[in-house]
Amino acid sequence: MRLVTAILKPFKLDDVKSALEAIGVQGMTVSEVQGFGRQRGHTEVYRGAEYTVDFVPKVRLEVLVDDADAGGVIDAIVSTAQTGSIGDGKVWSTPVEDVVRVRTGERGADAL
Amino acid sequence: MRLVTGVIKPFKLDDVKTALEAFGVQGMTVSEVQGFGRQRGHTEVYRGAEYEVSFVPKVRVEVLCEDADAHDVLEVIAKSALTGSIGDGKVWCTPVDDVVRVRTGERGVEALS
Repeated sequence: MRLVTAILKPFKLDDVKSALEAIGVQGMTVSEVQGFGRQRGHTEVYRGAEYTVDFVPKVRLEVLVDDADAGGVIDAIVSTAQTGSIGDGKVWSTPVEDVVRVRTGERGADAL
Repeated sequence: MRLVTGVIKPFKLDDVKTALEAFGVQGMTVSEVQGFGRQRGHTEVYRGAEYEVSFVPKVRVEVLCEDADAHDVLEVIAKSALTGSIGDGKVWCTPVDDVVRVRTGERGVEALS
């Protein structure tokens, strides 16, 4: 199995969720995170004073999938989350040794 | 590539960020989490009643890097987050088989730099 993790622009979450549901993804976990990339945040002017926003709000999306589905899931996320402007985020996949569905105790691909 | 994850004390985040930037890290993700370690939280007294704080607030820091940098990134986080007292947290590193930069579709090491 694979854990596909994506850091995305928060307003793209709905699009990505629909796209993943459309390709048959059975579940996902979403959390609110903050981060920065090459641009190192940006500066904002509030009441005349300039502030540095080091950490930009992002959404982290995690999907557990079969090895064979990982490529398709990554492509679906990338194509729907892409705006072309800086800060679109990253998607990566990591190997997962074991998965258990807590309710039933099913393991491995059965748990997905 | 590797994903280096650190669970650290929240007030150490600025130090860790500065140290990672000085090392040349190009990005990171931070989230607010809760956890406990060997100490299993602690008890606090509020208005005479004793409460058990079982989950202590922590910050999770994640950095994607090349295999060759993973050890150094781990050391940088571990050193800059160190206070010597209980609850300093943990840092670990996991293999990553694919990375995509969403904006451009660049893959692998190119997506990191």
